[in-house]
Amino acid sequence: MSKDMKFLVVDDYSTMRRIVKNLLHDLGYANVTEADDGNTALPLLQNGSFDFLITDWNMPGMAGLDLLKAVRANDKLKKMPVLMLTAEAKREQIVEAAQAGVNGYVIKPFTAATLKEKIDKILESRAVPA
Amino acid sequence: MTEPARSVTPQREPDLLAQLQDLTSNLRNALDRFRLDARLTALAEKEIPDARQRLSHVLNLTDKAAHRTLDLVEKSGPPAERTARQAQAIAAPWARFRAGTISVADYCDLIARLDQFLTTARTDSDTVRANLAEVLLAQDYQDLTGQIIRGVMNLVSEVEVVLVDLSRLAGHEPGAVADTRDEMNRGTGPVIPGVDHGASVVNGQADIDAMLSDLGM
Repeated sequence: MSKDMKFLVVDDYSTMRRIVKNLLHDLGYANVTEADDGNTALPLLQNGSFDFLITDWNMPGMAGLDLLKAVRANDKLKKMPVLMLTAEAKREQIVEAAQAGVNGYVIKPFTAATLKEKIDKILESRAVPA
Repeated sequence: MTEPARSVTPQREPDLLAQLQDLTSNLRNALDRFRLDARLTALAEKEIPDARQRLSHVLNLTDKAAHRTLDLVEKSGPPAERTARQAQAIAAPWARFRAGTISVADYCDLIARLDQFLTTARTDSDTVRANLAEVLLAQDYQDLTGQIIRGVMNLVSEVEVVLVDLSRLAGHEPGAVADTRDEMNRGTGPVIPGVDHGASVVNGQADIDAMLSDLGM
């Protein structure tokens, strides 16, 4: 995958969005758009040509799990790689996210290395068709 | 043997006593409720809205500090990168100079680059150092927010006592309340040490990776 990939980062906290955006820049991904919850993210996803979605879970408006389900239910978006970046740590929730079709799950607080590792892993699995 | 005839007076005495006990108990309950009601009113009308305002101020302070820190980190990146880039550009001609294999033209170029590097490295380092000093100062919110949060914690403890008393007066026994489905869907927030623990919560990223691997991911 190329470094021109378009990322959408969804988190209700602007500081967290800035942190993720900076980390993505450091990884060479300069094309990053932000949204503050599922309701603002979904129209952006539908109208834009994003290649990768990174979303928080716990947000006002539409939560991350519902955004994931909406993405998977949409013909145009259903194959989009989705990385959940969240503080939600209940086993039941992780199973639910996996069942809803999440591609990766990073728990907050996280490190730059973990974020890179999970993005790389998702992109590698995309590059080699199963 | 015939049963002794019951006198009316000794039978009425226990009734009267029981009624008096009921009355006393009701009066005590009413007084307890009144005391609780008065405290609840103060809590509901004044102290809880105040606490909300205080917590909102904490949010603002932490938000501002985080953005200020991020601004300074973003401002420090370019000068640090410039220093590294210029040092990198000088390294090769400098090695040739040390080995005595540099051409005159490259030597003149090296001197010019060194002049520029010495100037910009100094000013860029000053910029980064000043930004770091400001990052340090941006952490002063911790002291203020800590004091405010401690105040709100005391209030929450008091509300807890009042609510438990009220609940007892109403005859309820305290019991565990399970997460509702909707709360789980919406998210319940970060794990709090001492509150969320046990087998239902994962223990860090490695635990999640193992879980997802078991699920075939």
